[in-house]
Amino acid sequence: MKRGKHQDVFTERPPAKAAPDAKQLRKLAGDWLKLRRADAELSQADLAARLGLKYYTFISQVENGFSRVPTEIMGAWARELGLEPAAFARHLLMYYEPEMHRLLFGAESK
Amino acid sequence: MSVVAFERKQDSGEWSEKELSTLVAAVGAASRTGREWETGMTEQGDAQFYLLGPRPEQACELCVSRIGGRYILEDGSGRLLFEHRNLELVALHAKAAVPSTSWLMVRAVTLWCAIRNTIHEKAEPLLVEGEELLVQFVPQLAAFA
Repeated sequence: MKRGKHQDVFTERPPAKAAPDAKQLRKLAGDWLKLRRADAELSQADLAARLGLKYYTFISQVENGFSRVPTEIMGAWARELGLEPAAFARHLLMYYEPEMHRLLFGAESK
Repeated sequence: MSVVAFERKQDSGEWSEKELSTLVAAVGAASRTGREWETGMTEQGDAQFYLLGPRPEQACELCVSRIGGRYILEDGSGRLLFEHRNLELVALHAKAAVPSTSWLMVRAVTLWCAIRNTIHEKAEPLLVEGEELLVQFVPQLAAFA
């Protein structure tokens, strides 16, 4: 099922359980990114090519939860997935820096 | 007629035991500094080996992937560090790319200096205060003596 872009893709939240560690949160971010890529009907290789990466292995590294989307390509990553970069960055911040996300956006994001 | 059995190079799928032991041997020293490693697969079924940094972050520091019989070495930000068909060569580069213990030592020394500086800053006013009290009371004590 294909979702309407910019609609409810950012409403998904990490499960509300006692402070998951950084590794778990990165994995959740990776799962979310994988879903968004599937929505955009791109393979890991397609996305890597569009981002100018020689190999698609880094996409897998991020989606498997071992690395973060680097800030310098976050905008391009969002655009290739058909998402709005600011909302994309804000959503990823929730996984990568949950405390920073809470301080910046607090209750409005709940 | 005798047939020499050549070892068939694996092009896709899980890591073979030999490949894994080569990689683990290369980053073995790193595992003594609190690092762990994990394996995974790409969506196309290509094997990946991740060297993770220390807890609690455990972010990927190095990643070796095998794509079509070629080994790709990248860092945790996706920078391509080396690629070759020879895993031993890639493992050597991985070993050289592992953040070394000397880097950890630098961090430990920096931390120690910061702690010492903090203690010094906190303790100095107390010592100065004690000295001033002593200067005030010594003449009076001497008078009593």
